[in-house]
Amino acid sequence: MADMKMLDASDRGLSSGYMMWYRFSRNPAAVIGSLILISIVILAVFAPWLTPYPKHVGAVVDFRARHLPPDASHWFGTDKAGRDIFSRTVFGLRVSLLLVIGVLGISVPVGTVLGLIAGYFGGWVEKLITGLTNVMLAMPPLVMALAVSNLLEPTLTNAMIAITLLWWTWHARLIYSVSKSIASEDYIEAARLAGAGPLHILFREILPNCMAVISVKTTLDAAFVILFGATLSFLGFGVKPPTPDLGSMVADGRQFMPDFWWEVLCPGAMVFYVTLGFNLLGDGLRDMFDVEN
Amino acid sequence: MAEPLLSVDKLNVSFATYGRSRQVLRNVSFDVAAGERVALIGETGSGKSVTAKAIIGTLPNNAAISSGTIRFAGQDIMALPKADREALKGTAFSLIMQDPLSSFNPVFKIGTHLDDVMRFADKRNGVRASKAERRIRIEAVLRRVQLADADRVMNAYPSELSGGMRQRVLIGLALLHQPKLLIADEPGTALDVTTQDEILNLINTLVKEENMALLMITHNLGVVRKVADRVVVMHHGDIVETGPCAEILSSPKAAYTQALLEAVPPLYGPRVTNLPQSGRAPIVTIRGLNKIFGKRPGFHAIRDVDLTLREGEIFGLAGESGSGKTSIARIIMELSRATSGTVAIDAPAPGKGRRLTQIVYQNPGTSLNPKRTVKQTLSLPLTSIGMDSERREARMAELLDLVRLPQSYMAKYPHELSGGQKQRVAIARALAAEPKILILDEPTAALDVSVQKTVIELLVQLRQDLGLTYLMISHDLSLMRNFCSRIAVMLRGEIVEEGATPEVFADPKHPYTRALIAAIPVVTDAEELLKPVVTEEERTRFLVKTTA
Repeated sequence: MADMKMLDASDRGLSSGYMMWYRFSRNPAAVIGSLILISIVILAVFAPWLTPYPKHVGAVVDFRARHLPPDASHWFGTDKAGRDIFSRTVFGLRVSLLLVIGVLGISVPVGTVLGLIAGYFGGWVEKLITGLTNVMLAMPPLVMALAVSNLLEPTLTNAMIAITLLWWTWHARLIYSVSKSIASEDYIEAARLAGAGPLHILFREILPNCMAVISVKTTLDAAFVILFGATLSFLGFGVKPPTPDLGSMVADGRQFMPDFWWEVLCPGAMVFYVTLGFNLLGDGLRDMFDVEN
Repeated sequence: MAEPLLSVDKLNVSFATYGRSRQVLRNVSFDVAAGERVALIGETGSGKSVTAKAIIGTLPNNAAISSGTIRFAGQDIMALPKADREALKGTAFSLIMQDPLSSFNPVFKIGTHLDDVMRFADKRNGVRASKAERRIRIEAVLRRVQLADADRVMNAYPSELSGGMRQRVLIGLALLHQPKLLIADEPGTALDVTTQDEILNLINTLVKEENMALLMITHNLGVVRKVADRVVVMHHGDIVETGPCAEILSSPKAAYTQALLEAVPPLYGPRVTNLPQSGRAPIVTIRGLNKIFGKRPGFHAIRDVDLTLREGEIFGLAGESGSGKTSIARIIMELSRATSGTVAIDAPAPGKGRRLTQIVYQNPGTSLNPKRTVKQTLSLPLTSIGMDSERREARMAELLDLVRLPQSYMAKYPHELSGGQKQRVAIARALAAEPKILILDEPTAALDVSVQKTVIELLVQLRQDLGLTYLMISHDLSLMRNFCSRIAVMLRGEIVEEGATPEVFADPKHPYTRALIAAIPVVTDAEELLKPVVTEEERTRFLVKTTA
């Protein structure tokens, strides 16, 4: 059936851009997911203008207003120091997104390049890279992250390093399998016969064919990175107070459950919202690209 | 006249893709009488498979039958409730699928496949039967498709059977419930000619013995002559012509049918083209070539092969799958190393980044990178011989002219091109850095016959203009008859016959060559009569066993 679809599209000269857009617009998960993400990015970037109490991000203490339930002036209520939880939550998004960009910005390129190399060259290079990947995959991520944070200092940067150290392996492994199967295609041999060097083959011939898999995996990963980052700061290995972070806000609010429920549930709901956005988009992209998970 | 068994009347089907609807069948009407053999013939995109799917009821979700009726034994099957329609599958009509390998789940034994189909059909029909009782019925069916050793076949995994045997099992699957109409979607197309020939014989015998009707879907006119009483020719969703088989093949009325017949390379007769022999010096000399894959004992893919290619000739290497012809090509290309023996290419050493040999692959769908435009594909070999961008542009324009594609195709991606256009791009890429020898690995096997004709014409023209030498690898002997000046036939790694093409075809010495030529489906009775005779003894000696 795939043949027929292809033929059909090519007969009418539909561009790939149009086909991609059509499939995207017919995919509710992808559309909703990207709307959520757009809203998150806007909130994070314009947080100082969009929040009612931007000052509450810092060391503000207002004991008269502590533990106020949600109402019109404090949508998400206030915390133990009387700070507006909505404002802090929105600023907390910045930390989450920074974490995603930092972790995936390093681990995706590293994992992709190592995966491409292992899949294309084979031999001892393949053995070395897959061996290393397997060793890293065997380490429990949380233990590794705690070790790094203890060894160095419990800061956001170190949390990022800890996550990155483990995260590239998943990408390396995935891209390795894709690269290995593409490497045996006729067009790769044809490129070699046309005089292409290994760099050209890796990055111009194989990589473009991996982009669908990479984008799906990266989007789905973003959700996990945020959850993982929240877990780390919940355990006290994230950003330092008073900088707001979704995970540490949940941890702080935990002691006041169930009386002041909003202090846990509201930042928790934001984690849920961000994760949902990335997951929906990832699932949608997977359907669009027909990528097997 | 009695009610026909199957009657398709003014069927219109459209597909919705990417928000646009497109009609793929327009007022398709034809009948199949009980016991009649009808062939539905057409090229890619003609709607022949869609017609079959509409009859069976397996159209994809984005297809819609906008009007028309399909009647089976007087009953409008599209008006039937879903369950009743489901019950028709297997009992009223059955489908023989095209690809004998991908039709089976590799992790189940053949016996499990057969038993499952029988068990579910029994359940649907309210029959209660024990496993042992089902087995007796399955064995009976396997005997009918000439697989008498039922135990062995049923205990085998799909990968343990030959392609021909798998195809036989598929036919057996279709026969489990004595259908009245057998629908065959290009059976045997994926198999070697000799195996395909046997499969067609089997279908013919079965249709006659069981008094079934046959609806054969095919693109091969030779197959049509062999298995059809009546032919329906389809083109772009329309029925172009309908008539008795002999009439359509000998005196077609529609221009499209004429063109289609014209494009079939003839095996014998006045239409055959003879290429002149090249009297020039040898360019490739192969001596005592051996290739063994794997370690002891290993698979002996090439055995003591000696070959000489003369400059400017088109040399054909014929053989069925696994005969070692591609291995030889890869050794000439220096893509793999010979275990022993020498390959000498007598030509001045090429410049930096250039090669003496280039290859055109069988399937243009997999030999062009789907993410790269025509321009990107063509510029690669030019960059590696050190051309600057200005000269590259000029050379690319020249190359597109050479393969007769418009300049506007530069920016297109492979999925925007048809199969023939893709193959032209692949030829242009191979020629870009001016090789001396072009290896053609079944260059037209994935193309429709009318497209094949134009690609072959192009290749002939290019050889003349550029003074190239071709090594053509193929199993399509009728094509090689017209395209190659000399030919060698390979069997299990050895060359069993070699000579000027006209001589080999006029008087094939080796029984295997005779069997190969005899198995080619031809279009006219005159050609059939000229085919060499093969005895049963020779057949069993040289052909792969497909029965058990």
